[in-house]
Amino acid sequence: MSTNLTTLSRASSFPQGGAGLARLGVGLAAGGVMLAVVSMVNSLIAGSEVAAGNDAAVPAMLAWGFGVATAAFATAKLGVAVVLWGIVGRVRARVEAMGEAMPRLVAPSREDASVSSGVIRTPFGAATVSSEAPPELLIHRVSRLLWAPMIAMGVMAVYAGLILSVLQSGSMASDAVAGRALGAWVQGLQFLGEGLLLGGISFLLGTILASLRAGGAEVQARLGRAVHTLRMPLTAKLFIGLMALGMMVEMAQFGLYAYASTLAADPSFATLSAWLGPLREFGLGLLLSGIVLALATIARVLGFQFHRVTGLIDRAPHSNEVKS
Amino acid sequence: MTRAPTLRTDYAVSASGSAPAPNVPQRIGRLLWLPMLTMALMAFPIGLALGVVRARIIDAGADAQLVAAIGNFGTAAMFVGFASVFAAISFAIARILGVIRIGGGALQEAAGTAIQTLRMPSTAKAFLGLMMMAMMALVAAVIGHVIVGIGLASGELALAIGEQWAIWLEGARRVGVATYLLAISLGLAAIVVVLRFQITRLRELPAERG
Repeated sequence: MSTNLTTLSRASSFPQGGAGLARLGVGLAAGGVMLAVVSMVNSLIAGSEVAAGNDAAVPAMLAWGFGVATAAFATAKLGVAVVLWGIVGRVRARVEAMGEAMPRLVAPSREDASVSSGVIRTPFGAATVSSEAPPELLIHRVSRLLWAPMIAMGVMAVYAGLILSVLQSGSMASDAVAGRALGAWVQGLQFLGEGLLLGGISFLLGTILASLRAGGAEVQARLGRAVHTLRMPLTAKLFIGLMALGMMVEMAQFGLYAYASTLAADPSFATLSAWLGPLREFGLGLLLSGIVLALATIARVLGFQFHRVTGLIDRAPHSNEVKS
Repeated sequence: MTRAPTLRTDYAVSASGSAPAPNVPQRIGRLLWLPMLTMALMAFPIGLALGVVRARIIDAGADAQLVAAIGNFGTAAMFVGFASVFAAISFAIARILGVIRIGGGALQEAAGTAIQTLRMPSTAKAFLGLMMMAMMALVAAVIGHVIVGIGLASGELALAIGEQWAIWLEGARRVGVATYLLAISLGLAAIVVVLRFQITRLRELPAERG
């Protein structure tokens, strides 16, 4: 247990450099909250209109309110993505700092990197031991390539949906069938965009994991030590599965909403809409669950890295590592 | 032997004689991220199933009051899922902050230097406050939907009043979700701050060790 001895001076909680992205991200997320408040005020007015029996204007109000609310979530998610981008930069800078500091901190080598290979058990799971840095995993390459296009496509889809929701709002009073058809496009497109944004965030988390893996191996290899790399934990495998499933659900709901838009004059439209709403939210739920597992994986990988680094600095190797 | 802490002006830090333990939010994060995720993974399929049931009874021409009641129960189940999954994300972020805190302390301890630990940044405090507010907004909305659903199913609530409340609750839910996302962005910004401190500290260690 720690004992605080001295409390030293306070400084700004935002660092310079990476601070810019963090500030921008938090600002975007705050903008998302403001848009959500606009949508809430609209909901309060629309609800009061229903209670007062003035139902005529309510569908139009709900139409643009939906568009604004979904754009609010997308803006806040974009903010989260920007902060994550800042973390990627910090992780890389941390590898550089470790590369500079470690040669002056590690104890004289007892390991012969060239003859070390195999698998060891650590408190954080199985790890491979090799003489060189391991090759990059396919999922890490895909993550680095795809996070930015997915986020860009997601933002475009959500904001295109917002424009459609304003058009839908205008047509609700004059042509209810056209309004319903447009509404189906709005919901399908905006939730596809939300799915793409969460997919992009997932890939950003994958990029952080890739940087941790490559950076950790690089530091060990530069020291001329055996390279210990944590094997892909179960949480990482489940993360990939949930992300893929969530993206498939979001693409399926988009296709089904496109089909529903052709049935706007048909009684089956209400039936289809009744389960498509929960389906699109279910898809987002899967993507968010995958993000939880990605964060849990980052915590595990960081724990393993600290374990390895302190093992290199310490005079005695960790006794809880077992070669298998 | 641990050396005396060095006074610094760039970060607010605490100095200690041994690697620090995780603080209360970090301990809670480590304990609760998985139960929250499990709850979310149970709630989402229930919400979807209620949506399918609602579609079936619409198709069968059931009473509008019953359709509206099931709609409210379905939304409640889905938002139990969202409240839980956002809580799980927040707890997982707290867990990461805990790992960095403990690991950073252990690294300094192994190096035989003074152990400096960053005090909780303002971003982390805002993260905790907003997360709790967002959680309360979502839980209140879920309770509201359940009450409206029961009222509609029992016939004690008129359809128009039920619809009015469902629209109002939708607004509250939306602000709750957006606030949760803002809290998460602040939690991640706290990680940026902590990593920045760690980079600075890493560069100091060789000289301090001598």
